[in-house]
Amino acid sequence: MTLAILQRTDRFVSVVWPSGLHGMNGYLFLLPAVALVFILVIALGYMLEFSLHELDLSTYRLKEAYSLTNYQTILDRPVYLRVLWRSLLAALIVTVITVFLAFPYAYLMVRTSSAATRKFLLVALFLPFFIGQVVRAYGWLIILGKQGLLNSILTGLGLPALDLIYNYPAVILGLVQYMLPFAVLLLTPAVAAISEDVELASESLGANWLQTFRHVVIPMATPGLVGSSVVVFTLTLTDFAMPEILGGGTSDFIANAIYDSYFQISNIGLGAALAILLTLIGSALVALMFMIAGTGTLAVTEAEE
Amino acid sequence: MNGPRSKAIALWGLVAFSLILLSFPTVIIIGASFTAGEIIQFPPEGFSLRWYEKLWQLDSFQDALLRTFYVSFICTLISLPVGTLAALATVRYRIRFRRTLQVYLLLPFTIPLVVSGLGMLIVFGEVRILGQLWPVGLALCIINLPFMIWAVSASVNGLDSELENAAANCGAAPVQIFFTVTLPAVMPGVITGALLMFILAFNEFLVSLFLVDSRIVTLPVQIYNSIRSVITPDLAAVSVVYILIAVIAVWVLDRLVGLEIFLRSK
Repeated sequence: MTLAILQRTDRFVSVVWPSGLHGMNGYLFLLPAVALVFILVIALGYMLEFSLHELDLSTYRLKEAYSLTNYQTILDRPVYLRVLWRSLLAALIVTVITVFLAFPYAYLMVRTSSAATRKFLLVALFLPFFIGQVVRAYGWLIILGKQGLLNSILTGLGLPALDLIYNYPAVILGLVQYMLPFAVLLLTPAVAAISEDVELASESLGANWLQTFRHVVIPMATPGLVGSSVVVFTLTLTDFAMPEILGGGTSDFIANAIYDSYFQISNIGLGAALAILLTLIGSALVALMFMIAGTGTLAVTEAEE
Repeated sequence: MNGPRSKAIALWGLVAFSLILLSFPTVIIIGASFTAGEIIQFPPEGFSLRWYEKLWQLDSFQDALLRTFYVSFICTLISLPVGTLAALATVRYRIRFRRTLQVYLLLPFTIPLVVSGLGMLIVFGEVRILGQLWPVGLALCIINLPFMIWAVSASVNGLDSELENAAANCGAAPVQIFFTVTLPAVMPGVITGALLMFILAFNEFLVSLFLVDSRIVTLPVQIYNSIRSVITPDLAAVSVVYILIAVIAVWVLDRLVGLEIFLRSK
């Protein structure tokens, strides 16, 4: 029955796609994916176009004439430079903390001799990985909130309650927790590629474990470290949910400014200019990673090698 | 001081910290969802299932949950053929500009989500398909497509092309070979990818926030909207639904391909 369907399909295919065209099969297979991603390219085109028109405040429409006013506005208004700086600084802090925590996690997961420990570490990693940002931010709200878990403990001990939520450190905490699984998963293949013999050799030559880490393990894991750092950095830089929910308006990132420029102040031109700027920064970082660590850092390109 | 013991203590100390960090919000949400009180407070006001019961009676929750399933289903359905074929093409077929195409297919990762969200809001508005659910599914498929391609690519490498040649020598036609030889060989990757796509779509928040309105709100957006008003324990119960689905996904993934697959050196 199934075979009959397959044979009939084959007969049909041999008519519309004769074997002379089979050299093109690769392109045919790629076509749907290329077409879907092209929707994003069109979207970027629209954004670029919108970003080049100033908002006419009398009609609340974009002016016909092309200008760089929106980009000028971003550079002129201290509020946008502050937002940009705040996002970049957070990306840096989150990357450093996350990769610092991710490395021992990946290392232990690869090196442990106990299959049960390995499975436990994997499950503990994948569970939060499969739980979205909003739910995890909500968990932090319960913990850090005004009447949250930590403040209840503090007041229970007779101590004054603290403002733990709606500030920059809360956003950083939420982001580190969110990024940790990404960082570990990107680091693990690089750590797994390091043979344990190399470490043993280093130690038999008299190096202690810190020296072995410093001079052998970490240099050998550099591609993985670069890859996960760039991914964590860009994901943090472009994040929306954590600054929105845990920052409560005090710690807006670029993404929040883009959202607000569209939904709050209805200035699509300005939002588009911010979006183009953010895309450029993000792409530059990825390009930098390709240049430093080679294309092999991303699993998709790795597959063929 | 720098012996193997200090190494174990230092590493396990950091990992223990990470483990607490990773599980803390989840554990607290589960605890809070069982409170008997009107508000979330510590220590909780006794144990009850009242918030789960309320959830069942809440139409808005059920509608949002159904919509979220629908959107994730559309996303997975589109990504299955599109991602599988793209992965086969980039890894197995002779293509010019392979590098360029691979970088192009990574665009959904390199373009920030907030930009993709706003951009697709504009494009979908231009072609007048906003206010419906299927475009949301399509959008979530586009932004996560590299995950599907990545998952399938990983298993294409394990596919022996001699098998396909053997089938061809035995007289099998191309479509038959594809469905009886190629596809079964890459099935672990296809299943992993589909599972990833479903879970990611089920959780996706930012792009959905741009594309849904109050009539077609999905669960992550609804949770977000509720967080902004009053935090009641029913939200914790909703979140437990997410935790449950994550548990199931991890279990299925482990059963089908084994979580250890992610530990392999490339």
